[in-house]
Amino acid sequence: MIHAGNVNAPDEELAMHYAREFYGRRGESHRLWIVARDAISELDDPDLLKPPFDRSHKKPGGYIIKHKLEAAKARAASEAGE
Amino acid sequence: MPVASVLQYPWFAMDDADTIQPLNGRPPYAPGDADAFYAHVGSGGKVEADDWMPDDYRAAVLKFVEMHANSELMGVLPERDWIMRAPTLRRKLALTSKIQDEVGHAQLLYRVAEDLGKPRSAMLQDLLDGKTKFHNVFHYPTRSWADVGIIAWLVDAAAIVSQQALRDSSYAPYARTMKKICWEESVHIMHGRDVVLTLMNGTPTQRAMVQEALDRWWGPLMQMHGPPTDPARDKDLHWRIKAKNNEQLRQEFLSIYVPRILELGLRIPDPELRHDETSGRWQYTEPDWAELKAVVTGHGPASEARLGFRRVNFAETQWVRDALLGGATAAA
Repeated sequence: MIHAGNVNAPDEELAMHYAREFYGRRGESHRLWIVARDAISELDDPDLLKPPFDRSHKKPGGYIIKHKLEAAKARAASEAGE
Repeated sequence: MPVASVLQYPWFAMDDADTIQPLNGRPPYAPGDADAFYAHVGSGGKVEADDWMPDDYRAAVLKFVEMHANSELMGVLPERDWIMRAPTLRRKLALTSKIQDEVGHAQLLYRVAEDLGKPRSAMLQDLLDGKTKFHNVFHYPTRSWADVGIIAWLVDAAAIVSQQALRDSSYAPYARTMKKICWEESVHIMHGRDVVLTLMNGTPTQRAMVQEALDRWWGPLMQMHGPPTDPARDKDLHWRIKAKNNEQLRQEFLSIYVPRILELGLRIPDPELRHDETSGRWQYTEPDWAELKAVVTGHGPASEARLGFRRVNFAETQWVRDALLGGATAAA
């Protein structure tokens, strides 16, 4: 699901027709969800969304294993050669 | 299984088009026509929660998803034991995050299961009463910090092999849910591999600790995908609730992870394990299917302790549910 865009319409029924014409007329959409602007709750507090602490442990890129893996493989290879 | 390919983007940026169908003409079978329904799923068609579906199919999806949800919920208990014992602050944070992710997966999956008609409270009660199952690997105790690494790396790897295949499930809400779950599991695998690598680059004692953990976990890991089933009789496969059979998943796991285990200088405790070039398949000692059966029916070494903890916890948190659900009732 992605945000397709906005429409300006006087009522729900027209909003649906506008949405279909704007965002579905080329068959590019499988479904459209049309929600009135005042029904949307917004969260934009950077303290909550981008907290100032390191969150890299929550992402796959937060684990840099390249050098550790090389070291482990080199040790395993040298032990196998002994 | 290209884990790397799913790591590049947040899960929500992935294309949903393959699991969302056009509304016009959907579903392409008449409500009540079970033959047409099974022809639809048999040819790769998807089913949405509000589509008509035969009771057999609904029951099979529910059982499958409920077991998956139970496993996510029970799977955090062995890891929870290690939060306070994790060696550094960063490891504590990573482990806590993993646990938060897994409980989140349980929430997502119970929601999918609820839509199929079984209330969440009934699913939790059945779990506590030992009437429903959870994965074999969560019935075993953890003995050292190396277990945390082996679980996060290899248990999650074995799980993601099957979960990636579930993104092709015929039950579309389940398939979609699996995208977020797979993305997060990829993080857990990196965390686990990092823990194992750090230990392997440490002292001989630390390396021995990893080897000892691998020796204990290898049996349950080989059992985890279940015994080979007769594809003709496997309903879940036939109806494409799952997309690959047990043995395919195990072979896939072995193909990716045996080399990654061996390259670190670890030994795999199975003298029969080898890749047969002629058949292109991994040969291995037959896993102990009797143990698997006993363990998942609640007779594992830690089954009773884990369920006991969950029961105590469930009772202690009753006030939270009362406060939240009671409020909703009063407002309604």
